[in-house]
Amino acid sequence: MKLLLSYDFLVVAIATMILAGSSAIIGCFSVYKGQSLIGDSIGHSAYPGIVLAYMITFSRDPFYLMIGAFIFGIIAYAVIQFISNNSKIDLDASLAIVLTGFFGLGIMLKTYVQGNSIYEGAVQSGLKTYIFGSASYIMKSDIYIISILSIFVLSLCLLFYKELVLNIFDREFAKSIGINNILIDIVLLLMMIVMISVGLKMVGAILISSFLVIPCIFANQFSKNIKNVLFIAFLMAIFSSFMGVYLSVVIKGFSTGPSIVVVMSFLTLLSFIFKKLRGKNV
Amino acid sequence: MRAIHIEDLTVAYEENPVLWDIDLDIYKGNITAIVGPNGAGKSTLLKAILDFVKPLSGRISIFDSSLKKNLDKIAYVPQRSNVNWDFPIKVFDVVLMGRYKEIGWFKKPSKIDKDIAFNALKEMGLEKYIDRQINELSGGQKQRVFIARALCQNAELLIMDEPLAGVDQYSEKIIMNKMKELQKQGKTIVCVHHDLNTLKDYFDRVVLINRYLVAHDTTENILNSNHLTKAYQEVGFDETAA
Ligand SMILES: Nc1ncnc2c1ncn2[C@@H]1O[C@H](COP(=O)(O)OP(=O)(O)OP(=O)(O)O)[C@@H](O)[C@H]1O
Ligand SMILES: [Mg+2]
Repeated sequence: MKLLLSYDFLVVAIATMILAGSSAIIGCFSVYKGQSLIGDSIGHSAYPGIVLAYMITFSRDPFYLMIGAFIFGIIAYAVIQFISNNSKIDLDASLAIVLTGFFGLGIMLKTYVQGNSIYEGAVQSGLKTYIFGSASYIMKSDIYIISILSIFVLSLCLLFYKELVLNIFDREFAKSIGINNILIDIVLLLMMIVMISVGLKMVGAILISSFLVIPCIFANQFSKNIKNVLFIAFLMAIFSSFMGVYLSVVIKGFSTGPSIVVVMSFLTLLSFIFKKLRGKNV
Repeated sequence: MRAIHIEDLTVAYEENPVLWDIDLDIYKGNITAIVGPNGAGKSTLLKAILDFVKPLSGRISIFDSSLKKNLDKIAYVPQRSNVNWDFPIKVFDVVLMGRYKEIGWFKKPSKIDKDIAFNALKEMGLEKYIDRQINELSGGQKQRVFIARALCQNAELLIMDEPLAGVDQYSEKIIMNKMKELQKQGKTIVCVHHDLNTLKDYFDRVVLINRYLVAHDTTENILNSNHLTKAYQEVGFDETAA
């Protein structure tokens, strides 16, 4: 109980909950748009952006690193689009190429930095955090960035709720009543990349897409109404984050991001089983 | 007097011309059928009117002004809705979308909007299904949902691509009676239609196309002429080119 009230725990828990809740909302829109794998590719591809930003600025300031991740997220998306528009390669194959290529580049740059004397002066230990995610390196400035951007993205989703739903459900109709689909596509994509960049440090490049995807999959089991799906996904993400942060504090050696993802996956597995059992009774 | 004015319209997909040199006026307050064989370019014509496809040449005006200025006056029901069927949305909320243009940015649907949506559903005989997910309906029921949504838009010009395809006879009567009712309120209706036997019952005017405009006249004149056979016998130039 004492632990639950400690300042550090509360701060990390609240920031993580805000991050997960907003990611879940934007994730639902992305999943229904058929972009869950794109999120995964972008998550991995953002990693070299982190390392490059560090190499250029010699600083671990989370804001610079986030900008690096954001830019690489956009580049990765552009490359994916370029490949699928200019070749016969299927989308999933081009996603795989981009994901592994960019992530490989990130690892390469990271080992280069580690073995290079120019970077000895700067603090390096944090770069690995962005692969697997960890709350132990979370600083005050991280918390500000996470909270402000998450709330910004969340507000955009709520403000443009009708337009997002129209764009995803029925593009042609959206266009016929004067909605600019391309603009909505871009805004949705940018919001997804923002959430990925913001969450990278806490959750890691490998797992970040699960923040977008799993809550939606979970919620989709329980409702056929987008409003309820969003609400359930949001609650589930918040609950999982709280549990994940709690576990990672109580059990030594558990890191935060993976713990949250494990809780999310576990709940989703339970929801499948629950659904199956209930289906049998009817 | 004219709801849609088309001048010199030519449309091509990639390199293949589909519609050639169409000049056409659709008159206000009429129920007009667009008739022609498969692949004649009927859907393409509607899409060109709505600016979904970019024509190679031509000018289209709606109520003597641009499409953009008339978006809130037009409702469109596509031939096959390319909607995201797996999206978790209920029938009622799909129909409520017909109100979105009027509701505007940032605002929620009001009680009045919801009443309008419910009435439209009721008119299409779907009130039992309001809480179903859209994909849990039959093909004909889905079609009626999209017609209900179009009704909610309170449009001056209703453009429908084969609204009766896959709809049973009972619903067909309901839909066409509704169209007659809208006509009495001064609305203009354009439908792609395939059943030549019912042309006389439902439509004032017929536009016959097969890549070119074959004829445009009152239903009676069209039925009494040989234009229909001509439209259906003529081979589109996909085939002649090959
Ligand atoms: N997106 C597209 N890309 C390329 N060609 C197309 C496309 N859509 C239609 N076409 C071609 O254009 C021609 C006209 O198509 P359209 O859909 O307008 O016909 P239609 O008169 O509506 O036919 P139906 O009675 O079958 O609905 C056809 O030959 C079709 O193959
Ligand atoms: Mg057609």
